[in-house]
Amino acid sequence: MPIDLDKFKPAYEKWVAESLPDYLAGNVKELIKKYPLIVSEDVPWTAYTGSPSEQTFALITTGGLYLKDLQPPFDTASIHGDPSFREIPRTVRQDELGIAHAHYDHSLAEQDFNVIFPIQRFIELERENIVGRVAETHYSFSYVNDVVSLVTEMVPKLISRIKAAKVDILFMVPV
Amino acid sequence: MGLIQRLAEEAGICTISMGNEAERMAKIKPPRALHVKFARGSMLGEPGNVKRQRRIILDALAALKSMRVPGTIQELPYQWKRPDPN
Repeated sequence: MPIDLDKFKPAYEKWVAESLPDYLAGNVKELIKKYPLIVSEDVPWTAYTGSPSEQTFALITTGGLYLKDLQPPFDTASIHGDPSFREIPRTVRQDELGIAHAHYDHSLAEQDFNVIFPIQRFIELERENIVGRVAETHYSFSYVNDVVSLVTEMVPKLISRIKAAKVDILFMVPV
Repeated sequence: MGLIQRLAEEAGICTISMGNEAERMAKIKPPRALHVKFARGSMLGEPGNVKRQRRIILDALAALKSMRVPGTIQELPYQWKRPDPN
C-alpha cells in the first residue's frame, strides 16, 4: 500500500500551525506526541534469501552524521527538519564526523560513532568473511518532520544509489 | 526511519532496523527489527563496547534468516553496563 501523503499533508500543516510557537520556544517533547505520524496496517516485505557471507551490506543511520570538512550540516533549526541525506564512506574516521541533529544527546556517539553507525564492526565481520562485502558508501539522515520530499524525492534517490551499488541488505539504526 | 525502511522493502531491498520504544515500533511496524533496552543515541550499547556491538550485529544477521513473518520484532536481552548473558 503506498504511503498516503494526501492524508498526511493537511494534518501536517495543521500540526505546524499549532506547534510553531512551542517549537520556537523549545518545547519539543509535547509536539512530538501530537505529530501526525504516518501509520499503516500492512507491512511491506522483501523475503530474505541467501547467506550474509555472500551478500553486500550498507548502513543507514538517522543520527545526523555528516563529514564536517566536506559536507554541509543538516538544517537543525527548521520545524520541518531536513529530508536530505549525506553519503558516508566506509573508511570514515571518528574525527571526520560531525553531528547535526537537535533532538538527542550526542555525547555517546561523539565518543564512538559505532553506537549509531557500526561501520567498523561491519568491516571486521567482512574481514572474517561473516559478511560478504561492506558497501563503499553508507547513508546518514537527520530528523524529518515534513516527510513529503523525503518520500517523493530523497528516498527514491537513495534507493537508486543503493541498487546501483548492488546492496543486498540495509542495516538501519535510528536514534 | 520507518518510512525509509518501508520504501526500501517495497523496492525489493531486504532491511533490518533497530528500535528502543516498543509503543512507537508497534505504530511504525518495521518489517524486521531488533528491540534494545538502550537510550536514544546509542542503539548498539556503550561507546567502546566492541564485543557488544559485534554481538548485536550477529543477532541481526541471525534474525535475517530466522524472521519469516513480516513485522517481526525481536527483543534483545542486553542491559546498559551489565555483562552480556551467555
